[in-house]
Amino acid sequence: MSLVPAPVTAIHLDHISKSFTLDGGGTIAALGEVTLKIDKGEFVALLGPSGCGKSTILRLVAALEEPSTGAVTIEGRAPVELSRQHRLGVAFQDHALLPWLTIAQNVALPYQLAGKPVDKARVSALIALVGLAGFEAARPKQLSGGMRQRASIARALVLKPDVLLLDEPFGALDAVTRRQMNVELQRIWSEQRITTLLVTHAVDEALFLADRVVVMTGRPGKILKTVEVPFARPRHPDVTREPRFHELVDELTLALEPAGGHG
Amino acid sequence: MKHRQRIRTITLGAIGIALFLALWELIGIRGWAGLTWPPLSTVLAFLFDPSRRPLFLRAMTASFSMIAFGYAIGLVLGLAAAALGHLVPPLRPGLDRLASIIHAIPTIALAPLFIVLLSRELTGMAIAALGVFFVIYVSATSGLAASSAAHRDLFQVFGTSRLTQLRRLDMPAALPALVSGMKYAVPAAFIGAILGEWFGSSRGLGLLMVSAMQNFQIPLLWSAVLIASTASLLIFGLMSLAERLAYERYR
Repeated sequence: MSLVPAPVTAIHLDHISKSFTLDGGGTIAALGEVTLKIDKGEFVALLGPSGCGKSTILRLVAALEEPSTGAVTIEGRAPVELSRQHRLGVAFQDHALLPWLTIAQNVALPYQLAGKPVDKARVSALIALVGLAGFEAARPKQLSGGMRQRASIARALVLKPDVLLLDEPFGALDAVTRRQMNVELQRIWSEQRITTLLVTHAVDEALFLADRVVVMTGRPGKILKTVEVPFARPRHPDVTREPRFHELVDELTLALEPAGGHG
Repeated sequence: MKHRQRIRTITLGAIGIALFLALWELIGIRGWAGLTWPPLSTVLAFLFDPSRRPLFLRAMTASFSMIAFGYAIGLVLGLAAAALGHLVPPLRPGLDRLASIIHAIPTIALAPLFIVLLSRELTGMAIAALGVFFVIYVSATSGLAASSAAHRDLFQVFGTSRLTQLRRLDMPAALPALVSGMKYAVPAAFIGAILGEWFGSSRGLGLLMVSAMQNFQIPLLWSAVLIASTASLLIFGLMSLAERLAYERYR
């Protein structure tokens, strides 16, 4: 263990809270006080029921929202600075591919948004990496839901971001496709090891992909517990059949149940 | 399946048009609607008589150029106003109100003003431009707001500048609505230009209609109306085609 360098904090949520003002004038607290540190190169999954504020955390890190109190920093700086420098990668549940562009053009889009020349070799390498070789000229409409999400993940990775933000990227897929996508994302991530924040409500997805699972409860959203995932990388799909994996699934599932619930 | 459905739609449409034309002919031949309803064959014979070709060509050139210029001016102004309102949001409510006020005034009421301010010849063009402006402004404005929240979030996280977003997201996303607007602006341009010619222009289909009406030249009147309607429907149909392509590609 002595060879492992001391972890460097990449993302720091420092006593943040977030409340929204309603149209009627009242306020609703989406996030209570949350403090979380994510190390450089770490994969953290935020796990919780819908409405627990996990997506709000991701939106704060993505500079899409501002915290009401506290501060979010990425490598000591405001998230908006990183987004302006094109150093964030993001994939949503909605694949958000542009329907008028081909798959290759969609994956290359971040270069154009950043005003940089398109690295065609990297675009085709990434398309191959996510298993879409041969579909470069296809349009999003012609692809299945799983293939669109692959393209959306390739697009998130194309600029070699410092931070990867995944907001339930497989939430709209069927169970079989979703499992397959998890296996692929795990393989891709193990090759790149980008600091990653994944928001999900699927326990097995969080456990299979992340180094650390942070369980949240609503409302207002709070961190309930944190679980270190013990499985070595790269992870084989067989990991999900190990007794230890099942124990952790049970533990997390129980933690997700409403307080005082017994079934 | 889809292909077969389209063929059916087209066939039914063709049958409908044929029935309409046959009915027109029948009413004319039998004289059910009196002297002012000539059979289609009479109108067509009148229209395609070589001796009248210069007359119709002159009128068409005059009218169609007024329609085209009016359409182009309205299109450019409508797009410019919509882009301005989109890029400078504080201007948006004012522009919306201005467009609605312009639209709320009956263009016929403005015609005498245009005749005084511009000229009799250009009044049709000005009315056409006003009509087109409103349709284009409304469709472009709603089109520029048509991008999805997920797309806007994505562009923001990737650190996109306002202008790049306009070019790469807002404008392509606006295209279907805009092409729909451009389609509905076609009849507006025709109405405006021909109406303008009624007010004493010295050329054009509108003048032909008024003078034919006053001199009881029934086949001439119907010919002028037929030319204007056919041209408007033809361009409208072509725009519908473009509209379908835009929706297929950009939605």
